[in-house]
Amino acid sequence: MTIKNSLALEIKKLLTGLSEHGSQHLSEIETDLVQTNILLSEAIEKLSASFMAIHAAVSAQQQMVDAMLMQVPAAAVGELRTKAAQIDQHVNAAVTGLQFQDMTNQLIGRAMQRLIGVRDVLEVLGAHSTAMPGDADQNQLQALLEQANASLKMQSAKLENELWKAVRQTHMESGDVELF
Amino acid sequence: MAKTILAVDDSGSLRQMVVFSLRAAGYQVTEAVDGQDGLDKAKTQVFDLVLTDQNMPRMDGFSLIRALRGLSTYQKTPILVLTTESSDEMKAKGRAAGANGWLVKPFDPQRLTEVVKKVIG
Repeated sequence: MTIKNSLALEIKKLLTGLSEHGSQHLSEIETDLVQTNILLSEAIEKLSASFMAIHAAVSAQQQMVDAMLMQVPAAAVGELRTKAAQIDQHVNAAVTGLQFQDMTNQLIGRAMQRLIGVRDVLEVLGAHSTAMPGDADQNQLQALLEQANASLKMQSAKLENELWKAVRQTHMESGDVELF
Repeated sequence: MAKTILAVDDSGSLRQMVVFSLRAAGYQVTEAVDGQDGLDKAKTQVFDLVLTDQNMPRMDGFSLIRALRGLSTYQKTPILVLTTESSDEMKAKGRAAGANGWLVKPFDPQRLTEVVKKVIG
């Protein structure tokens, strides 16, 4: 086997290996992301249900307390009203916090899109490797590698265009409000 | 009679929080799961306010807003965008589409209620 042939073979091995191993790892990541999304969805469902139940119970209790307040000294009434206001604040904070799943879902969706895009890129590399003869001469090698580079560039650009970042929040403080 | 609001968002958990917050303030809230669903519902009932997400399948928020502004019954209806997007570029696009306001997620229930009250009473 000449040096040129062994070079072609090595490049072929590299592209094939990159494509196969890369795709395998990306598939595992995709599985983990899907699972993460499922768990997050389930968690938010349970959290929201618990929150609604607690809120309903507290509201019912508050109604009973309001009825009893008629016979209670003014100082105690004031204290109870303060507690009620504190509960309202905690409820607002909980409602703000419970919106996390919408944002994490978008981020996970974007990560999955990028993952699929990178896997497509690796498949393109694999396809070019398959097309490459093991005894390709230098000119053939160069032409094939140029084709592979061009495909990669195109795939990469396509991916960037499709991946607009909609979620920039890095904390769960409530966002701005603007009326036009 | 309670004012009516159409809340459009493809996230079930987000819709739940919007409904919870606005119903507690006395508004009647109808949910829609995406822009197309929102448009279909808007054609069967005239709402006092539309609150819509932007990034949704089937029909996004801006497309929904443009479609609503094309209906005679929604020429003057206040439409607010509730979205994770915060860039000036997107706000300008929303405004150009016909939105009257922009709220960035996550929303605070009290602030949401205040804005809605300011817009429709």
